[in-house]
Amino acid sequence: MEKTVSKTIFTVVENCVACKSCEIACAVEHSCSKTLAGAILETPLPQRRITVEGVGAYSYPSRCQHCSDASCITACPTGAMQRDGNTDAVFSDHDRCIGCWMCVVVCPFGGVTADPVNKKALKCDRCPERTAKGEAPACVSACPTGALLFLTPEEFAAQRRQATAHAAVCGESTTKLNGMDILRSLKGAN
Amino acid sequence: MKIVIIGNGPAAIAAAETIRGQDRSCEIVMLSRESVPFYSPCPLAEYVEGSVPKDHLFLRDPAFYSRSGIDIRYGRPVIRIEPQTRQVWLAGNEAVAYDQLLIASGSKAFVPPIPGLATAKGVFELKTLDDAEGILERIKTARRAVVIGSGFIGLEAVQALIRQGLDVTLLEAQAQVLPAMLDREMAAIVQQRLTAHGVQVHTGCGAERILENENGVRAVMAGGCEIPCELVICAAGVRADLSILEGSGIASNRGILVNDHMQTNVDGVFAAGDIIERPDVPEKYRVLPIWPNAVSTGRIAAWNMLGIATRHPGLEAVNVVRVFDTPIASFGTQTAEDCLRWQDGNGAVRKVLLQEGRVIGGQLIGEINGTGVLHEMMKKGIAAERFGEALAHPGFSYAHFMQPSRAVKWA
Ligand SMILES: Cc1cc2nc3c(=O)[nH]c(=O)nc-3n(C[C@H](O)[C@H](O)[C@H](O)COP(=O)(O)OP(=O)(O)OC[C@H]3O[C@@H](n4cnc5c(N)ncnc54)[C@H](O)[C@@H]3O)c2cc1C
Ligand code: SF4
Ligand code: SF4
Repeated sequence: MEKTVSKTIFTVVENCVACKSCEIACAVEHSCSKTLAGAILETPLPQRRITVEGVGAYSYPSRCQHCSDASCITACPTGAMQRDGNTDAVFSDHDRCIGCWMCVVVCPFGGVTADPVNKKALKCDRCPERTAKGEAPACVSACPTGALLFLTPEEFAAQRRQATAHAAVCGESTTKLNGMDILRSLKGAN
Repeated sequence: MKIVIIGNGPAAIAAAETIRGQDRSCEIVMLSRESVPFYSPCPLAEYVEGSVPKDHLFLRDPAFYSRSGIDIRYGRPVIRIEPQTRQVWLAGNEAVAYDQLLIASGSKAFVPPIPGLATAKGVFELKTLDDAEGILERIKTARRAVVIGSGFIGLEAVQALIRQGLDVTLLEAQAQVLPAMLDREMAAIVQQRLTAHGVQVHTGCGAERILENENGVRAVMAGGCEIPCELVICAAGVRADLSILEGSGIASNRGILVNDHMQTNVDGVFAAGDIIERPDVPEKYRVLPIWPNAVSTGRIAAWNMLGIATRHPGLEAVNVVRVFDTPIASFGTQTAEDCLRWQDGNGAVRKVLLQEGRVIGGQLIGEINGTGVLHEMMKKGIAAERFGEALAHPGFSYAHFMQPSRAVKWA
C-alpha cells in the first residue's frame, strides 16, 4: 500500500520577527483547558514545545524536526519516544516516559527539553488533535508572518520556487515582506 | 540462511527487527540466558523505587517473537563459539549451527575481588530483572544498605533505596563520585546533593570485606570500619562479558573488536551492543555501553549480515543520570585546554571543554537542555570559537548556526 506523503511544519527563517505567538499558542494547545485564560491558571503551568531563540538581531523558532532517522527514538530505553504510524510525527508517550533524558542529550537540534517539574520529555507532537480535524498545528495557525507553514514537501518546494522566481523577475523587493521589513515598517510607522 | 543471535537485549532485538524488515525468509534463532521476554534494564532502579510498574519494563507485546518469525530460546546461555564448524555450544552440550552469527550478549557487572562479595546472601548487582526482584525481596526486611560504586547505576540504586526508606551508605574507591563522568568540582556538587538527601557518602574508601551472619550480609568492612547493613548493591562498573569467546579466535580487548560494519575478525561473525569495542576510532568513542549504541550497532550489524554494506557513523559518547531529580549530563572527555563555564547561582553549572577551538567534552548539572547540540558539534568536529562564551549558556542552540545565513539575508 502506498503511503500518502503527510504534511509537516516548515520554517521560513527570514520571516520570523520573534513575536513568540507560536510559543503561547503551543503552551495553550498543550494545556488542559486549551484556552489562554484557562491555561495561565493551571498548575503546573502548561509548557511550550517551541522556543523562539534569538541571536543578536536574528531569531528562529526552534522545535523538533521529526527526523526520518530520529536519534531520540533510537536512544529512548522505555519505548516512550515513538513515531505515529499515520502522521509520521515523533512523539513521547508520557505514560511510559521516565524522564531519563537520553533523548535530550542525543537530539542534535535541541528538539526535546527536560520538564523538571513533571519529569517528562517535552517536544513538539505536531498537534495530533488539531491535524486529525484537518487544522494546522497551533504554532502554524498563530504565526502572523508565515514563518511557520504546514505543507507537504511538494507544496513547500512549489511555494519556494514561486517566491524565488518572483524575486528573480521583480528584483529583491518582492511583494512578500520578510521579518526585517516588517520590523522596519513598524519602526517607520511611529 | 540461518542467522543466530546470542542475547535478547536491545542490540539483539534491533538486529532481529531490522533483518525481518528486509527479509521474510531467513531463519532467525535467538539464544537468551534469561527466561523473560525482551525488557529494558534502564528503568530497573525506578522499578525498585516503585515509580515504574513491572509491565512497563517489557518493550514488546507477547506475540512479538511469533509474529516476527523469531525462534526465541529462553534459558539457553551460550558457553562457546566454534567458528570452524559454524556452531555455538550451549550448556548441556547442545550445538546450534549458524550461517551468520551476531554476538549481542552485553556486559556484566564487574565484581571486585572482595572476600564475600560474590557469595554472600543479600549482595546484589543491578543489571538484570532478576537482580531487581532479588533486591525488592530483600528490602522487605532490610533497613540499611551499602552501595559499592558511584557510577550511574550506583547512584540510581542509592536514590531508589533512599526512596524506599532505607539508610544508605555509598562507598567509592576513587576520590570522587561519578569518576567516569565528572571532574572533581562537579562531583563535589553531586556529593553535596547526595548528602542533603541523607546518603552517607564515603569517597576514597573501598569495600574490604563482607561480614555475614545466618541471614546473609550483616556489615561491610571499609576503611577499617564496620558499616552495618542487611543489603549490599555492587555497582562497581560493567565489563563486556568475553568468557564465551575462549578458543574461538574472535579478537577482543576490552570488548569484541569490530569495524564500522560491526564485523569481527572472523568470517560470518558480527557483534553489537555493550560487548563491542571500536579500535579504529579515538579513545573516547571506543567503548560506550549505553542504550542508543546498542540499538544503532544492532541495526548496522543486521544490514551487513544481510550483505547490504552499511557503515556505522560512530558511537554516541554521552551519558545522563538523575540524582534526586537533578539531571547530570556528560559527554566526551573531562579535561581540556579551555573550559567555558556558566552557572546560575542556584546550583546549575555547565562546562564546555574545548581543544584547538573544537568542543571535545562537557559536563552539565541542573540545566541540561541543549546537550545534544553540543554533543553533535563534538561528533562533527565543528569549529566552535566563533560562538565564544555563548557555548556554555543554556540558551545556546541550533539558532546560532543559522546566524551567518541570516546575516546575508538581512544585510
Ligand atoms: C540499571 C541500569 C540502568 C541503565 N540506564 C541507562 C540509561 O539511562 N541510559 C542508557 O543509555 N543506558 C543505560 N543502561 C545501559 C543499557 O541498558 C545497556 O547499554 C544496554 O542494555 C546494552 O544492550 P545489549 O543488548 O548490548 O546488552 P544487554 O542489555 O546486557 O543484553 C544482553 C542479553 O544477552 C543475554 N546474554 C548474556 N550472556 C549470554 C549468553 N552467554 N548466552 C545467551 N544469552 C546471553 C542476556 O540475557 C540479555 O538478554 C543501564 C543499564 C542498567 C543495568
Ligand atoms: S527530537 Fe530531535 S532527534 Fe527526535 S525527531 Fe525531533 S529533532 Fe529529530
Ligand atoms: S526522557 Fe522519556 S522520552 Fe526521553 S528517552 Fe527517556 S524515557 Fe524516552
